[in-house]
Amino acid sequence: MRNASGARRGLNHWLLARASAAYMALFLPIFFVYACQGGLDYAAWRGLFLPVFVKVAVLLFAVALLAHAWIGLREIFIDYVHPLFLRLSLVFLFGVVYAACLIWAVAILWSLK
Amino acid sequence: MRFRIYRYDPESGAKPAMRDYEIEFEPRGKKLLDALIAIKDTLDESLSFRRSCREGVCGSDGVNVNGRNVLACVTPLEGLKEPIEIRPLPRLGVVRDLIVDMGQFYQHYRAVKPYLINLDPEPENERPQSPQERAELDGLWECILCGCCTTACPSFWWNPDKFLGPAALLQGYRFIADSRDQATNERLDFMEDPYRLFRCHGIMNCVEVCPKGLNPTQAIGKIKTLLVKRAL
Repeated sequence: MRNASGARRGLNHWLLARASAAYMALFLPIFFVYACQGGLDYAAWRGLFLPVFVKVAVLLFAVALLAHAWIGLREIFIDYVHPLFLRLSLVFLFGVVYAACLIWAVAILWSLK
Repeated sequence: MRFRIYRYDPESGAKPAMRDYEIEFEPRGKKLLDALIAIKDTLDESLSFRRSCREGVCGSDGVNVNGRNVLACVTPLEGLKEPIEIRPLPRLGVVRDLIVDMGQFYQHYRAVKPYLINLDPEPENERPQSPQERAELDGLWECILCGCCTTACPSFWWNPDKFLGPAALLQGYRFIADSRDQATNERLDFMEDPYRLFRCHGIMNCVEVCPKGLNPTQAIGKIKTLLVKRAL
């Protein structure tokens, strides 16, 4: 069976990997500077995450990190894991684990009051 | 000089093996191909390898030397660590000794339609280009299809039947970049695929080994940029 043309896919994943990397590259130094403002005890760290805009920025970071990691893993699976069932299972497994991590991150961030 | 050369003769039934050769040879000013020819002439006439122009134009003597894909005819003997280990290009089937089956490589080359597609009526003389339009093709047309880049690419090693490889993608971009070509959209359609194009992770092995000093990674980047422009 022959494909007449390309799958017209791949560009979105490639762009998303770059967009998430750009966000992380911007977020990390800014957050580092922000975190260095106060002390390094528990109360100060907890206080860092109280403003809503910080919660949103950190959550976006978690989204970017997990999306980036999932796309990277998918690339690795396409390169190295050739049996289709095993590859789909791995992509699905990590998709579920990462989605769970994301929900967990929301729960942690918004439990702070 | 000491050489260790990959030998395989499918008709003998023996498994592939490395064979050592020692030959009196003055390396100064000589290329690797000179030594291979000398070994074939004086030590072992059964040693098989491809060569034609012996000056880096035909692209037929791509081999893997001390772990690096090179053209034997333009690789100086001086400075190579002995024993000089010569193997066929990686990942392609071996026909005999250093001769590989380039079928897969050419199939990808054919797939990118490496010719001008222009449906306008034939002009009286030629299809003119401005010097700027012509300059777009520099760094692309020089490719001699030796296969050094594609067989140095791990993405090609893992998916040789699906990933087009740096050489075919560079050739594909050569016709996308040509102001006289009218099939840019169809070419981009063909390439936009998780395997054909997006197996490239930009590790630049192709740039590292290209004996003509070309930059397939840059060409692939330009294809991706065109895809983004088209989509957004």
